[in-house]
Amino acid sequence: MDERILEFIGDLRRAELRISPSEALDALAASAEIGLSDRETFKSSLAATLVKESRDLETFDRLFNLYFMDLEALGEGLKKALGPEDPRVQDMLDTMMDEDGLELDDLTELLMRGQGSEMEMAIRAGGQNAGLERLMYFLQVGYFSRKISDRFDWSMIERDIEKIMKMLEAKGLDPGQLARIRNYLELRLEAFNRMIRQHVERELERRAYRQGEKLTREVLSDKPLFALTPDEVAQMKSVVARLARKIKDALALRQRQEERGRLDTRRTIRKSLQYGGVPMEVFLKRRHRDKPKLITICDVSDSVRNASRFMLQLVWSLQECFSHVRSFVFVSEIAEVTQAFNNYPVERAIEWALKAAPVDYHCRSDFGYAFSRFANAELESLDRKTTVMILGDARNNYNDPQAWALRMIRERVRGIIWLNPEGQWGWGIGDSVMPLYTPSCDIVKECRTVGQLVQVVDQLVHSWWRRGR
Amino acid sequence: MNAGSVPQFDPTYGGDMFDSVEDVQQRFKSARYIAGRRIATVVYLAERMGRPVLIEGPAGVGKTELAKTLADIASRPLIRLQCYEGLDEGKALYEWKYAKQLLYTQLLKERIGELIADAPSLPDAVARIAGQDDAFFSYRFLSPRPLLSAIQSEAPVVLLIDEIDKAEPEFEAFLLEVLSDFQVSVPELGTVKARHVPLVVLTSNNARELSDGLKRRCLHLFIDFPAPAEELEIIRLKVPEIPEKLARAVVAAVQKIRGLELRKPPSVSESLDWARSLVILNAKQLDAALVESTLTMLVKYEKDLERVKGALDKVLAESS
Repeated sequence: MDERILEFIGDLRRAELRISPSEALDALAASAEIGLSDRETFKSSLAATLVKESRDLETFDRLFNLYFMDLEALGEGLKKALGPEDPRVQDMLDTMMDEDGLELDDLTELLMRGQGSEMEMAIRAGGQNAGLERLMYFLQVGYFSRKISDRFDWSMIERDIEKIMKMLEAKGLDPGQLARIRNYLELRLEAFNRMIRQHVERELERRAYRQGEKLTREVLSDKPLFALTPDEVAQMKSVVARLARKIKDALALRQRQEERGRLDTRRTIRKSLQYGGVPMEVFLKRRHRDKPKLITICDVSDSVRNASRFMLQLVWSLQECFSHVRSFVFVSEIAEVTQAFNNYPVERAIEWALKAAPVDYHCRSDFGYAFSRFANAELESLDRKTTVMILGDARNNYNDPQAWALRMIRERVRGIIWLNPEGQWGWGIGDSVMPLYTPSCDIVKECRTVGQLVQVVDQLVHSWWRRGR
Repeated sequence: MNAGSVPQFDPTYGGDMFDSVEDVQQRFKSARYIAGRRIATVVYLAERMGRPVLIEGPAGVGKTELAKTLADIASRPLIRLQCYEGLDEGKALYEWKYAKQLLYTQLLKERIGELIADAPSLPDAVARIAGQDDAFFSYRFLSPRPLLSAIQSEAPVVLLIDEIDKAEPEFEAFLLEVLSDFQVSVPELGTVKARHVPLVVLTSNNARELSDGLKRRCLHLFIDFPAPAEELEIIRLKVPEIPEKLARAVVAAVQKIRGLELRKPPSVSESLDWARSLVILNAKQLDAALVESTLTMLVKYEKDLERVKGALDKVLAESS
């Protein structure tokens, strides 16, 4: 059994559940404690030891049902498929074998009298060395089914069925009855073949589960953002969420490592006065890092909307890393959308910001106007803890770039980071005014794909804000 | 540490409090807690394998209650560590009673004076005091906090670490050390090893992601809102005086309301409160006016209230 559990764990890992060796050992120990008599209990014991994220439970359930089949239900299904005549014929076969000395081949006996579970075991044993690990595509199902089927010795089946029929004839059954019985026996033969096919299909599903998803994700991560279809955008959302979690986890770990301090003489001496100058309590200097404030300013015109979407999602998923996050969107008029994020779940807030914020979505982008408006309205609220993150392609449609506004903003804040969803080769060509804005920015990065975006934010979180900025 | 005085425990060995998963279910039920098969399995395994259990799930589904009931049926004392932002090792593990130490040194000043009165030199005097310093760093002056008391305890205990997600990640790392070998070192006193493996239950409302290390260490149990049948059973058990018909109506209505995408869907504890208040009001069945006037028992946010009131027809129509 242990081997089967380990194989199952392999399946889970392929479906991107992270399972450590110690957890695998726990699962083995737990199943040894619980035993296999009750399927539900067995399942719970594996879930408790292997699945540590509630969002992975669904994957677990599915794979469990594929891998540890409900044999009882299988038997029931077989009975149903064979119809109501089953018990009578079955009894007859039983008496023939027990009393009339009918001798059958092992396989025939399995097929004619076996329970669903026994058949399944036989199929599984047959599939053991059939090279199922090479099974990857649906087209292979037929081939592998045949291959497993060939492992059984079918030579005696025909003869055995004839033998049975002859014996029944000798018993004096009428032709109608005989035909029905023959039909039934053939049905069972067929059922067995169907079971083999189902077995292979299940194996395929088990192996391929979520593999496709993984592949699409890898491809999509490198696809330019503007080229993503709505479907692909939906798929990438979960990817971005997953990556945000990863960044956050890593961050928590680092904070932990950094917070070992040296002696804080001032506090220690102050406290010692309470004890007559004896330093009873020792205080350590904790490197106390203020969480940074963040303001995001996103261009939401058509050309860069996808990039803005993912950046907003990323930033708001990383909210806990900042003390305060504010978000603005603009095309030419600029509007604050922070409120939406406070009231709605991230998903909905982003949809709102991209489609229903109080800005005109149909005009042409005007970075200069947006920055000057922002500088006029918000300059007072900026401070040295704030980082401004701008996302846009700096294609200004030949409007006045008003670079002075960005310079003014820069003077009030910790830094400005510009993420440009356009390839670096295009900056400064045509109506791109990127070179005019670059001097005011601390960091300028290209992020054309989700992969790049995530990489950039990851770097920022680890290096830009690391030194307490 | 004197190995002879402390019975060694083998961390791989668990207890034998329960005979089987069914036994767990039985005993929880007699302690008035409906434990589904999954819950019972995890509790059974935790006890057998001596592993902590990490319970996640929405607020009010009985996570804390589970630990309390477990302590109850195991007849072990429950030691509870409530986590909050800013919780540190001092508050969780132990603190020295500084004031008491100081008071004692003041009171014993003369004795100390006598002790060093005939010391020939300063180093001698220091050596003599050094010989006595154990007196001030002994268990007498140590005030154990929940974690240390759980480890020190003579009798086996149930340790409940509530809302671990509220504490900082750093605290989690520290906790992990304690949970992996059930021993704690107090620099002045040496290592304190647990005499018994405590049954540890951690709860989390998922306010933040817990670290992988902690999750790896624990058995994981996710408790969601109960299925209708289960919730009905819970209501019958906890509010026995409720008429059967009303109980069914309550469950159906609550299940509907949970489907309304509220900011905070009603939890089990809230549906119990509601059932109780309906019984007090002597209601026989649910109608719109009654539900509207008692809705605050169930739904706690203004916006949610409006939402439920708006969908009242739906909630009631299908439930009757």
